[in-house]
Amino acid sequence: MNRSPHRRLASAFVIAVAALALAACGAQKDLPNSTFLHNSEVNTDIIALWDRILFMGTLVFVFVEVLLIVTIFKFRAKPGAPMPKQIHGNHTLEIVWTLIPVLILIPIAVPTVKTIFKTQAPAPAGALQVEVYGHQWWWEFRYPELGVVTANELYLPAGKTVNFTLRTVDVIHSFWTPQLAGKRDLISNKTNHMWYTPDAKLTEGVFNGFCTEYCGASHANMRFRVYTTTPENFDSWVNAQKGAAAGSPVALAAQAAADSAARRTPQRAAVLPIPAPAPVASGYVFPAEKMPAHTVPRTPIPASIQFNDGLLAQGDAKRGHDLITNMANLGKAPCLTCHVIKGEQALVSDDVAKGPNLTHVGTRHTFAGGLFPTTPQNLARWIKNAPSMKPGAIMNVFGQGEYSPMMKANVTAGLSDAEIADIVAYLLSLK
Amino acid sequence: MATTAAPAPAHAAAYATGEATGLWSWLATVDHKRIGTLYLWTALFFFLVGGIEAAIMRAQLMGPNGQVVSAEMFNQLFTMHGTTMVFLVIMPLSAAFFNYLIPLQIGARDVAFPRLNAFSYWVYLFGGLFMTVPIFFKVAPDGGWFGYAPLTTMQFSGGLNIDFWVLGLQILGVSSLAAAFNFITTIINMRAPGMSLMRMPIFTWMSFVVQFLLVLAFPAITVALFFLQFDRFFGTQFYEIAAGADPLLWQHLFWVFGHPEVYILILPAFGLASEILPTFSKKPLFGYNVMVYSGIMIGFLGFGVWAHHMFAVGMGATADTIFSMATMLIGIPTGVKIFNWIATMWGGQIRFTVAMKFAIALVALFTIGGISGVMHSSPPTDLQQTDTYFIVAHFHYVLFGGSIMGIMGGIYFYFPKMTGRYLSEKLGNLHFWLFFIGMNMTFFPMHYSGMLGMPRRIYTYDIGQGWENFNWWSTIGVIFQFAGALVFMYNFFKSRSSGEKAPNDAWGAGTLEWSIPSPPPDYNFAQLPVVTSRYPLWDLKHPEMTADLAHSGPDAMTITDSHAVPMHEETEYKTAKELGIPMPFPTIKPLFAALFMVMMVGGLVFVHAISMPFAIGAMIVSGSLFIGTLYGWLTSPLE
Repeated sequence: MNRSPHRRLASAFVIAVAALALAACGAQKDLPNSTFLHNSEVNTDIIALWDRILFMGTLVFVFVEVLLIVTIFKFRAKPGAPMPKQIHGNHTLEIVWTLIPVLILIPIAVPTVKTIFKTQAPAPAGALQVEVYGHQWWWEFRYPELGVVTANELYLPAGKTVNFTLRTVDVIHSFWTPQLAGKRDLISNKTNHMWYTPDAKLTEGVFNGFCTEYCGASHANMRFRVYTTTPENFDSWVNAQKGAAAGSPVALAAQAAADSAARRTPQRAAVLPIPAPAPVASGYVFPAEKMPAHTVPRTPIPASIQFNDGLLAQGDAKRGHDLITNMANLGKAPCLTCHVIKGEQALVSDDVAKGPNLTHVGTRHTFAGGLFPTTPQNLARWIKNAPSMKPGAIMNVFGQGEYSPMMKANVTAGLSDAEIADIVAYLLSLK
Repeated sequence: MATTAAPAPAHAAAYATGEATGLWSWLATVDHKRIGTLYLWTALFFFLVGGIEAAIMRAQLMGPNGQVVSAEMFNQLFTMHGTTMVFLVIMPLSAAFFNYLIPLQIGARDVAFPRLNAFSYWVYLFGGLFMTVPIFFKVAPDGGWFGYAPLTTMQFSGGLNIDFWVLGLQILGVSSLAAAFNFITTIINMRAPGMSLMRMPIFTWMSFVVQFLLVLAFPAITVALFFLQFDRFFGTQFYEIAAGADPLLWQHLFWVFGHPEVYILILPAFGLASEILPTFSKKPLFGYNVMVYSGIMIGFLGFGVWAHHMFAVGMGATADTIFSMATMLIGIPTGVKIFNWIATMWGGQIRFTVAMKFAIALVALFTIGGISGVMHSSPPTDLQQTDTYFIVAHFHYVLFGGSIMGIMGGIYFYFPKMTGRYLSEKLGNLHFWLFFIGMNMTFFPMHYSGMLGMPRRIYTYDIGQGWENFNWWSTIGVIFQFAGALVFMYNFFKSRSSGEKAPNDAWGAGTLEWSIPSPPPDYNFAQLPVVTSRYPLWDLKHPEMTADLAHSGPDAMTITDSHAVPMHEETEYKTAKELGIPMPFPTIKPLFAALFMVMMVGGLVFVHAISMPFAIGAMIVSGSLFIGTLYGWLTSPLE
């Protein structure tokens, strides 16, 4: 057998592997979703365990592969060699290499068990409670103690333990922020828990999150963001988020009441109880310009959706608000049958709403399961024809004349581009 | 049975088929070798289908925000890729070897139930087509090969997609179970005189273990599928979350099947490698007993580790610990096998044939898959790995690096026995290196993309997530694999007609199948051999090789069966008629029984496609035809 072509192929393979390793190293400087970052104690524990297993695994790998390569080179057939000695086995050797795996596994097994019990212990008392609800295909986050409901963007105070309560309203999902901790499934008819503490140094962190249990058509499009910030900023954010929507009757009434109270008895304002609900407060929002590139979605918009972007500048929030609450040609208030906007008439509660809570949608940097940046252009197209931007999305197609896959027909009683521009202006005003 | 000496045959027609050619001779065959060949061709066809599905997915994922296919099509592709490769490729490729080799290796003239064997094949073919064809109409299964409820219930998957999957798997289960009982009976009852269990070739041993795994594991998924089937078609509520169902029921049942399934996929390849490595090292398998026991051990432990697929579901620390420890234990018998293979080669005279290269690649690559397996046997680290591309890398090292490499080695090794001609070694080398390089180029980078946060089963990903390089390499690797597959196809077709002629004992191997002509006559053995050791052919041809073999022991040379003659190599080629060996009739009835059964089960699709009365009507008609065919089958004489 002519061996040289095989040698060439083999060396080509070695070069390919080396190139791959180099490519891997080249990527080291930019690992936006790496699981190897010490951003929480849980992750630090996992990485310590991983390092140990990787060390043991590398030992086994090098030992076995080197032994194999030595064997096949050392004992390759030589012409005229005598028949090899026929050996059928060796009990001592076989006992030895039964024990080798045992000896390798013990130092893995012991810390594994320790870490299992440590990380699955109940969350420490006083942890921030966050409820995570999985929906096909977006995330709902509730802070039950703080009265905040939001979607696709999670704010966490750095250095404080968070106890997640995980539930799903439909199929199984899985909640994962690779840079912060491992994943945990959201299982129908079951409540799961996990907790971790974002490191106190993460006062201005943004992390990508993903659904990691296959959940249907847009499983790939079920993403979220985690912002970590200082406890003060977090409190400020909460304070704003728990209020009613800007421009809503409740907010306007509260504002009027507060204003008149301030006019009547300015000097005694400190001792008078402020009537609830609180007026709209402007609170902390993670600064958009601080978001690293990998956290800003760049999902392409299908060219099939045409929208006259010139109309967006003329959009009027007041007209948009009126459309949301009373659309003459689309029934009473079609938006509010699926979305909660706190302060507006409540046609659905958060527990049965099919779409995300929009009370402060203007403060979110992304929408539609973290798929698009919250820009007027993107929102307009989304309202016009959501299913064409996100496969399987159940939001109605509202654009006049657009094809609706659910109705299997073109929309006849829909919104004009000008009306959509008004609604976009209203939504962006919901700070 | 074909193995018992019979008086003068009454049915002359029984002799007519052995060397027959033409379509009919294949449709009506009950010969285990022909059925094995049919399994091989069909499974290789599905291998191409599954490979094309994979290539389209890799094209989509080559760069961020890929636009090659829609989300819906991608979900169908990954579901069908997994389902195809598991149920329609690796299992049937293994079945091709079970069929072809087990009777030859144990010195039998056929399997215990030749017509049931034909039935198994036809059920597999029709079931496979039933699941595969819908992709051309964009209604292929799209719930993942694992089909997690409640996503697969009517509430969330109302189309026909999941119907094809549920019913298709039920159909394939019939095929696997029928074949498993057949081979268990064959191995227990039909071994040649002197072939004790501990003298069986190691491939037959691993196959024997696999048949028990099939028999014990398939009922679990059958039950799970029945629940789902009844939910979807008849309104029961096993997985209906609105009715309070616990969807973990599905996961437990599925993985009680699914994990032994992994060993169903890998043990036959282990068996093939254990035949190839000794032959080309000119040494017997090192530690035969330990290889047998470790195979049994792997099969046994395989039933106690299913929940390691479920560390993320929140089973609690105690359950996680138990399943983690049980999983680590499997590393022990597997490690032993690796060392024993290396020890088999150690001190040998290694010939680097293509078959040998594939077998050595199995040892090298399976080791990598085994190591990454230990990495996610630890639940805390698994929570960062499960459902990411790290897992995809892991199981492709096990299933491609292990099963496919072993089976490819088996094809190069046994092709001369099946056809009487060698596959071209030159093309084979090219094929091997393209596969080996392409496989590593595709799957090794997935370790990185997974640990850097890339989830599985996503049809798209955004720019700048740190995964672009790795995905690009993975896709380029597919080009190498496809080039390898094309070279293999060319080699396969060309060598059938014009390959170098192979003698009976094509490679200087030691087991019974190499003592008979290539291709073997339809009766396999003119005279049933008497076996006195694990490598009877080496005893015969190279007594110096086996001089120190333990030929003592209670059953050595104490065969007193009057029919038995000593082991010899058969060189003359006579027909069954000349030898007076009765052969089973060829019959088309198993084909029709399989067809009508598939139509009967598949008829349920009409419940959602047309209407319940139509479906019931269709099922009654095809069910009646099925029972009628069965009656005809059971009342017609075998031979």
